[in-house]
Amino acid sequence: MDWGKVKFFLGEVFANFSRNAGMQLTAIGTVCVTIVMLGAFLYTRETVASLGNGILNKIEIAVYLDDSVSDTDAKKLGNVFASDPRVASAIYVPKKEGLRRMHDVLGRDFDLSLLTANPFPNAYHVRVKDPDLVPQVAGRIAKMHGVTKADYAADTVTKLLKVSETLGRVGLVMIGLLVLTAAIIIANTIRLTVFARRREIAIMQLVGATNGYIRGPFIMEGMVAGLAGAGLAIGVLALARWQVLPKLTAALAFVPFHANEPLIAGELLAVGAAVGFIAAWLSVGRYLRA
Amino acid sequence: MIALRGVSLTYPNGVRALEDVDLEVAKAAFVFLVGHSGTGKSSLLKLLYKEIVPTRGQVHVDNIRVDTLKRSKIPYLRRNVGVVFQDFKLLSHKTVWENVAFALQVTGAATKDIMRQVPRALDLVGLSHKARMFPGELSGGEQQRTAIARALVNNPKILLCDEPTGNLDPANTTEIMELLMRINLKGTTVLVATHNQAVVDRMRRRVVRLEDGRILSDEERGFYVRGLGQSQVLSG
Repeated sequence: MDWGKVKFFLGEVFANFSRNAGMQLTAIGTVCVTIVMLGAFLYTRETVASLGNGILNKIEIAVYLDDSVSDTDAKKLGNVFASDPRVASAIYVPKKEGLRRMHDVLGRDFDLSLLTANPFPNAYHVRVKDPDLVPQVAGRIAKMHGVTKADYAADTVTKLLKVSETLGRVGLVMIGLLVLTAAIIIANTIRLTVFARRREIAIMQLVGATNGYIRGPFIMEGMVAGLAGAGLAIGVLALARWQVLPKLTAALAFVPFHANEPLIAGELLAVGAAVGFIAAWLSVGRYLRA
Repeated sequence: MIALRGVSLTYPNGVRALEDVDLEVAKAAFVFLVGHSGTGKSSLLKLLYKEIVPTRGQVHVDNIRVDTLKRSKIPYLRRNVGVVFQDFKLLSHKTVWENVAFALQVTGAATKDIMRQVPRALDLVGLSHKARMFPGELSGGEQQRTAIARALVNNPKILLCDEPTGNLDPANTTEIMELLMRINLKGTTVLVATHNQAVVDRMRRRVVRLEDGRILSDEERGFYVRGLGQSQVLSG
């Protein structure tokens, strides 16, 4: 490693930065805002996804049996359900148990004395390994002899997931536009630095520096701006996680706030660096070709 | 070392800078390019380091066909061609040492090469003792010597000087011309574009005169004014 070269390169990058400190701060600020939004979006998306999956995984097919089915036949049916490789479990809920559970849920509002007969049929609660296969399995069970109905709530959940997916797409477009804005601001900043250093660039070209070499410090400048913006954004997000998340968790107890935070932080840094790199490359490239 | 064959140059704005120029310059030669402003002296020099390309004709420098040279190869051509200008083109925020080292640093030279070559170049131009000074603290002649050191630090085979003494007083002019002579004696081919009659007449080197983009005359041991040498020989 030739430390003299490294020192010279870093000196050039620092010189670039100090030429346009104000503009650099603007660029870093824009990247920061963009990345904060991107980070919040990624976090929310992961939370919504795990919320949706959580609900889907808990979906049971309620299989109601005809009253004419005897207990023995009901047990046999249970074995048939359980033998399906897609099925995780099939639990028998006799009509008495069904009534008791309803009473447990509704409590005093549910007056058993008003009933002349148990309106609940014998039933099975069937759990499926893969939530996506619920409609298939339910369809097959519904056709079986002795089964009156195979019910599941997947429709609602699927719709919810679709809505969140659409919202996610809209969010992505907005973030795309923000990333573009940040890239344009970085590109303009670098163009100003290039302009401020045009004399040095001319001399570099005169004495035989390659375009790649001339581009180096500017690319680095762009990447540093992008990384600084992303770093700042991660700081803001960490603060938000520390201050806001406990309140959200308390308010929305059923939502499992959870995301792979180090991964998201890594992604955000990569986005910042990439935006800076591309913007700088295009900006200097245009100057060197001209 | 340098050959121009049938070279014409018309700028995009329609100005015709050079017209059917043929010129051969041998290795280690010293050549003055003279003529009025706008006769194509600077344009001719620019063709040699591919700052511009001819509209027609061929440009050869050190066995390289420059007019068709790929853009990506230009930096390597320029490492063999040092260029010096009237306005020095030094970086004011860098010291003499840093200005000279800059030419090596931006070509990716190793630090140990820089440490060896910069003192040598500064010694050649006699500025070792001012290595830590900034251009603003130097005289015009010293600034030009710094620029020459920068042009030479890569050990180029050719040194192109575009009005190198244009901003200098007579004493500094003499100093610079003597320096260029010394450099030439070490085997570097030197081309000097100038309007300085005194310099040309005193040095008695090959003089190529341009007028309206054409070579009007090409004399060995020539004078600034065309044919003066011959008439002196005749009258003497």
